Amino acid sequence: MSVELRLAWLLTKDSDRRERWRVLLTALGAGLATGFGLGAVAVAALRGHHNIALASGLLNDQGERSGIVFTLLLLLVPVLGFLGQCARVGAVHRDRRLAGLRLSGATPGQVRRIAGLEAGLACLAGSMAASVCFVPLLLHLWQAPPATVWVAGTLVVLAVPVLGTLVSLLALRRVVAEPLGWVRRVRPRGKRGLGLLFPLVAPAGVLVVGMLVAPRSFGGFYTSPALVLAVVIVTGLSAVRLSGVTSRRIGRHLAERTGDPAVLIAAERLRDDPWAAARTHAAVLLVTVVGTGFMGVRQVLLDTLRLRGPDTLAADISFYTTGIDLTGAALLLALAITLFGLAVGTAESLATRRRGLAAQAAAGVPIAVLARALLLETALPLAPAVALAGLGGMGISTWYALLADTEGTSVLPLVPLLVPVAVYAACILAAATSLPLLRRSVRPAELRYA
Amino acid sequence: MSTRHVLLGLLAAGPSHGYDLKRRHDEQFPQARPLAYGQVYTTLQRLVRDGLAEVEGTDSEGGPERTLYRSTDAGAHELTRWAGEVMPPAPFVTNEIFAKVVVSILASGDPAAYLTAQRAAHMARMRELTAVKTAPGTDLATALSADYALNHLDADLRWMTTTAARLTTLTAEVDSA
Amino acid sequence: MSTPLLTGRRLFKAHGSTPALRGASVELHPGEILAVTGASGSGKSTLLHCLAGIVRPDEGTVEYAGERLDEASEARLGELRRTEFGVVFQFGQLIPELTAVDNVALPLLLAGTPRQAARERAIAWLERFGVRGQEALRPGEMSGGQAQRVSLARALVTGPKVVFADEPTGALDSLSGEQVMTALTHTAREAATAVLLITHDAQVAAYADREVTLRDGVLAAEAAEVAR
Repeated sequence: MSVELRLAWLLTKDSDRRERWRVLLTALGAGLATGFGLGAVAVAALRGHHNIALASGLLNDQGERSGIVFTLLLLLVPVLGFLGQCARVGAVHRDRRLAGLRLSGATPGQVRRIAGLEAGLACLAGSMAASVCFVPLLLHLWQAPPATVWVAGTLVVLAVPVLGTLVSLLALRRVVAEPLGWVRRVRPRGKRGLGLLFPLVAPAGVLVVGMLVAPRSFGGFYTSPALVLAVVIVTGLSAVRLSGVTSRRIGRHLAERTGDPAVLIAAERLRDDPWAAARTHAAVLLVTVVGTGFMGVRQVLLDTLRLRGPDTLAADISFYTTGIDLTGAALLLALAITLFGLAVGTAESLATRRRGLAAQAAAGVPIAVLARALLLETALPLAPAVALAGLGGMGISTWYALLADTEGTSVLPLVPLLVPVAVYAACILAAATSLPLLRRSVRPAELRYA
Repeated sequence: MSTRHVLLGLLAAGPSHGYDLKRRHDEQFPQARPLAYGQVYTTLQRLVRDGLAEVEGTDSEGGPERTLYRSTDAGAHELTRWAGEVMPPAPFVTNEIFAKVVVSILASGDPAAYLTAQRAAHMARMRELTAVKTAPGTDLATALSADYALNHLDADLRWMTTTAARLTTLTAEVDSA
Repeated sequence: MSTPLLTGRRLFKAHGSTPALRGASVELHPGEILAVTGASGSGKSTLLHCLAGIVRPDEGTVEYAGERLDEASEARLGELRRTEFGVVFQFGQLIPELTAVDNVALPLLLAGTPRQAARERAIAWLERFGVRGQEALRPGEMSGGQAQRVSLARALVTGPKVVFADEPTGALDSLSGEQVMTALTHTAREAATAVLLITHDAQVAAYADREVTLRDGVLAAEAAEVAR
């Protein structure tokens, strides 16, 4: 094992630019995961009533704290999605490198361990960095945290790299078997099951964990979050499936009819591998469902609270608005992470195609056409999927409005309709962040490397 | 190349006379040096002397007298033996280009200039052969024989390129010998 | 001799601190097939990139039909490469997701030809290069020789004045290479298209009308003059 560790370290240390990006992004993802994990541990460790000068006293009592723990754990979903994207960065390059290791005599087990340790080292760096930031903050807020916080915190910091290693071992189980490895592009077949399984299992797992950690938040005052989550998962899943199916449909339909070269290129890429787009968009769609639903719930809840008047409330109204706004902030954070993942995915898809793109540009295909194809590849399949996700979210808020509307006064909330539109625009902007990279990729210097 | 065996081979298709044999030879081996009629005649006589061919008869209608030859059983046997026999792979290296380079060094000439000129001549011939090979309607026999020559010229060229790059060392070696 | 169609004069180009071209000059006449040979690293591909307006030389001039390419705008260069020039590389110029016919039709679509007309012309060209019946295949599903013939069709479909071919047979076996070269030279001669052919293989160079050899970034004849 020490040989593998040394090799993994050497490979990480002397890696090229693309490798560095992966290491950096993986570390960032691991850092975020560690941060959320540590936050959840610290909040969960609090017992009884405290006066904490954060977020209008939202952390003071057990019930609200459970909700926050649950939210922090939910945030792990987009982080995991992001880590999945990071694994794709430089995947082709890495596959070749690992195949090279196999050719020079390493056993499949060794190569797998080396690759796993590489990912593990990156995750370790990320989780260390996160804990270095977290500990002073914790000590600042909480003079003497109990030993359980330290123990659980250490476990989180160590678990993240271990999980990272295990996940990359799982992801690499196919790659390293062949010494000649990746020679020509093989279209992923049958990977679909895994792609659909992930969004199914991940939220369900988080749901179970959430129920165990924060049982009280599931008997909430106005809500039945379990049901909400179920709707979220079902809608998210069907959105992913829809995204895949429509990607292929749109691809086929447009590829046969369009006269626009950019549309043609984008459509053929969608038809070629519709599930790549679907996987990338899974997190976007979940955020859209939850975001749209949340906006509706927020509006109805605040309307209802205001309607009842301050006398009937157990606490100051700012207590509720802060709680709701914090949830909104968490959603925005999830959206940001998701968009970052989308941008990374687009950049990665460009980086692996750079030589071909350079050849296209050399043959006179205008960069504007290549750029438009790149954006359309994101925009085309996302439109119907985001629309459906938005409808799902609207379903949640409508249902909630009907549930809450005991006095028949509040109207159906329409503000949530803005959410899918905003998410859609943000996704295209995220994809557009790759355009400078496109311009760099088509430099003729790229033609000189096979 | 063994002319007698090639003629025996052409006779295997059926009795033929000298002029016909020459014409068919030149058709069948398009890029080879054409056979002289005198050579065909003497070779046929030797085949008859060795019992590998015999005179079938003469036919002289409306022209000069022409002798028809045909292959014997012994001839067919000899042909089969020869066709299956392995050719000794380059038993002696006869490389006139190399000889010229060495002589040029010995006589204090300009071997580099010679190699450049030879290279140009080789390339010109290769272009000719390529044109023959790729002309529309070229038959396979022509294309294959042109290919054979092209590959040999290409081998010469590659050898010349290597040699040109190492002339300094070669000059020192030849001069000190 | 006719006036040259494309002229590069005293071209210098360095990749970082490594010089690739050191004052190479070359002329390509209308309809001429010119082979540029030389060892690996002698600057062949860089010469092609400069002449095709894919990169700008550090020094020296490139003139195409009276127009200075070394001074032309990127937009103009892109337009020239789309309309007047065709390029064939060793591999990589086909879009992997597009079918053979769409790959060939792409330059026509870029020029604004309607889809159906573009496809019909593309199919005619594929037929000409003996890859009829493979229209619906994608580059990954074809053999190397077929893919290169599709690339040739794509390079020639717009009726260019010059085709730039950089080791077009580099990844092929000799028989496929022969078919590709025959297809290229026949079509070019028929249409009087000039071809700048980069190769390290004398048998490929023999398809050309004329050959120049690059050595260390200059033509071999120029190198000899410099040495004297």
